[in-house]
Amino acid sequence: MGCRTCELACSFVHSRAGALGRPRIRIHAQGRGLEAGVIKDRYLQLTCLQCAEAACAKVCPTQALVRDETTRAIVLVAERCIGCGLCEAACPFGHMHFDRQIRLPLKCDLCGGSPACARFCPHHALEIRP
Amino acid sequence: MSIRLWIDDREVLAEPGERILEVAQRQGISIPTLCHHPALPVLGACRVCLVEVQQGKRREITTACNTLVQEGMRVATDTAEVRGHRAMNLELLRARAPEAPAVRELATQLGVARSRFRPPAQNPLPNCILCELCVRACAHLGHHALAAVGRGDKKRIGLPHNRPAEACVGCGSCLSVCPTRCILLKETATTRTIWGQTFELVRCKSCGAPVMTEAQRAHAIRTKQLPEDHDDTCELCKQSAASQRLASVVW
Ligand code: SF4
Ligand code: SF4
Repeated sequence: MGCRTCELACSFVHSRAGALGRPRIRIHAQGRGLEAGVIKDRYLQLTCLQCAEAACAKVCPTQALVRDETTRAIVLVAERCIGCGLCEAACPFGHMHFDRQIRLPLKCDLCGGSPACARFCPHHALEIRP
Repeated sequence: MSIRLWIDDREVLAEPGERILEVAQRQGISIPTLCHHPALPVLGACRVCLVEVQQGKRREITTACNTLVQEGMRVATDTAEVRGHRAMNLELLRARAPEAPAVRELATQLGVARSRFRPPAQNPLPNCILCELCVRACAHLGHHALAAVGRGDKKRIGLPHNRPAEACVGCGSCLSVCPTRCILLKETATTRTIWGQTFELVRCKSCGAPVMTEAQRAHAIRTKQLPEDHDDTCELCKQSAASQRLASVVW
C-alpha cells in the first residue's frame, strides 16, 4: 500500500533519547506514477536480508557483528565496535547505515525476534516466519 | 584447568589468561572503566577500574582490566579504600576533561562533584584523558598513525613528530572510540579533515553523497576487505538499485 507504517514503527522502537531513529526498513516505490488519474505505483519493502555469508560481518575488524543464535539475525555488539564504517561500504544492498553522529552502524536486529515493522503493518503484509 | 577465585566474597571460576575485569563483568559485577574496550588490547591507563586484590599475604590496589586471575585470589571491588582511589583518579581526569560528558557522569556517580585540579596549560587536545583508545583502535586497523608523545605534563596524543602521517587514512575510528570525543573531525561535501590533514571523499556515483575517504577505500581494497571493483554508491542508492532489480524480477 505504501503507507510506510513499518518505517515509522522501526524508527520508533529504535529511537534514542526521545528522537526518532532512522528506519532500518524502507519502502521503495516502483511504478509509473499516475495513469488516467489512477496511481499505478507499486511498492517494495526492503530491509536487511540477514545474509548467510554477510558482507558486513565479514569486513568487521573487531567481530562486532555476530549471528544471534535464537533469531538468526546478524546483530551489532556495540561495545566491540570501533566505528570504522566499513560495514556500510561492504553491504551490497545498502542496508547498513553508519550514523556519523553517534558513530555506530544502524542495523536491523529483527527486534529480538518480534519485529515492530511486522507487528504494526496495518495490512498484515509483513510476517515473520521461522 | 579452571581457576577458582573470590570476587566480593562470591566464588567464581575463570580460565587461565583471563583478567579480573572480564571475569567480574561476566558475573554481573560492574567495575567502572574509561579506557577499556573489549575489542582492543588492554592498557590500564585511566586507573578507574582499581580493585583490591589479596593473594596469600600480599594485598594491593591494582587495575582490574589488566590483572590476570590467579588461583585463590580474593578481589574486593567496592571497599571504602577502592572508592577513595577511584574518586581521586576521577578528580584528576575531570580536571583534564572538564567538558566531557562521559567523564563528568562517571565522576558524579563516584561522588566527585568538582575537581581541585586545573587542566594542563596549552593543551593542544583539550579534554583528552590520554586513554590511548584512539592509538589502539588505529593500530588495530593496521594504520598505526597515532602515538602518545612526550612525558609527564607534556604527554599528548597525535601524529608522530607532529608531521602529516601518510599512515592516516581519515577513517575517523579514533574519534568513534574516544570517550571524550575530543578529536576534531570536519566534513564538507567533498573533504574530511582530521588531525590537521584533509582527505578527499569518495562520493556516491548516483547522488553525490559522501561515502568514505579515498584513502580509506584504497586501504580497504589493498587489504582485500573490499573488492577491487567496489561500488561507490551510498546506501540509499544501493537500496534503490536493489529495488529496481527486484522489481524487474517479480513483476
Ligand atoms: S582517522 Fe587516521 S588516525 Fe584516526 S583511526 Fe583513522 S587512520 Fe588512525
Ligand atoms: S584523544 Fe580521546 S581516545 Fe585518544 S587518548 Fe585522548 S581521550 Fe583517549
